[in-house]
Amino acid sequence: MVCDTCRDSLEARLDDELTPDEAREIDRHLATCASCSRQFATLTETHRLLSENLMRYAAPDVLKARIRGAIAQAASPRVSVRAAPPWWRQLAAGILIAIASSGVTLTVVDRSRGGTAAAEELLASHVRSLMPGHLTDVVSTEQHTVKPWFNGRVDVSPAVPNLDGAGFPLVGGRADYVRGRVVPVVVYARRQHMINVYAWPSPSAGAASAKDLSRNGYHFVTWRSGGIEYWAVSDLNAAELHTFVATFSAAR
Amino acid sequence: MTDGDLQRFERVVLPHLDDAYTLARYLLRDEHDAQDVVQEASLRALRYFDGYSGGDARAWLLAIVRNCSFTWRKRQRADDRTVPVEDTAELPTREADAPDVAAMQASERARVQRAISALPEEFREVIVLREVEDLSYREIGDIVGVPIGTVMSRLARARKRLAVLLDVDVREAS
Repeated sequence: MVCDTCRDSLEARLDDELTPDEAREIDRHLATCASCSRQFATLTETHRLLSENLMRYAAPDVLKARIRGAIAQAASPRVSVRAAPPWWRQLAAGILIAIASSGVTLTVVDRSRGGTAAAEELLASHVRSLMPGHLTDVVSTEQHTVKPWFNGRVDVSPAVPNLDGAGFPLVGGRADYVRGRVVPVVVYARRQHMINVYAWPSPSAGAASAKDLSRNGYHFVTWRSGGIEYWAVSDLNAAELHTFVATFSAAR
Repeated sequence: MTDGDLQRFERVVLPHLDDAYTLARYLLRDEHDAQDVVQEASLRALRYFDGYSGGDARAWLLAIVRNCSFTWRKRQRADDRTVPVEDTAELPTREADAPDVAAMQASERARVQRAISALPEEFREVIVLREVEDLSYREIGDIVGVPIGTVMSRLARARKRLAVLLDVDVREAS
């Protein structure tokens, strides 16, 4: 083999793009030709420097959440309510036990018009919140920063428990306009999923009811505690969202 | 689109968002532009998901990211609002024996990173597709829209330039 032919194939040899026969032929030439061999060594070293040092970036969690949100919205602009699937009832039983200790009662409620309308508004708000720069007005992982931030901005003071230990880090808070009023929203994360927790003064005090709605990978759970009606919205799977709600309600 | 299609899309395409983002970062050299382009590319992928024939989903998504990046840059140039930030920083001079291995690795990494952003676009994209995304010549050719021979010659020229920029000097072949 002449050197010119060999040099034309060095890249392909390095990148494993030759047939075994071709590769053997190149290797035989390299074993006998110092000049080609040196060129191949330079190439190999360059390749090593590049493949070992070039950065592989991880897409930021907020970007992934944004994309999931945009995709769900593009795939179906309308949200509708589905009856709770049977497995949910089993799950609900588990959550009942978890929540019983926090003094919150939980019941499964049939679908209602009001719930659907609220879910539609909340989904729109949730998706909007995932657009760049809309998620949080106050960015803080510290509950004692987020809770006071709501003072004077909204007339509800939501619970802002620290759920780090349970794997739901606090991301921050914002004031949002939903269902005709400005409401506080507390934002938590679970891996690349964002959880928005909305709070309203509850029209009726007393027993909390939980509704479970879902559409296109979005889940909504609502419950009542301390005279406040909460709605948690996320693309997190239903089981984990319920764990979140149970943890949130139990925390003080 | 049915829930089933959507789930399939999420299962097949979304796991490659890190790779998509990496490619966009190298092509656009700006983290915010890269985020916007990856989001745009994901939505475009969703729209064209019907046309996806079931081959390598990663290469398919990367091709869309590459096209979106291209369009994005063209639009930016047309707008002429943004001044392209060329990385003209000089390569760092060799530091005196740094005792810290981590620091040495970090500076090596920075040196390689700078060298690659100094490459012209057409070289940079083949290098990233090959050395970072680990694609075959054929896949790279499909993504960039050139014959395999062109992929090979661009890779060869790109590596030659990088060898010089990175000061790769092999004295004795083993």
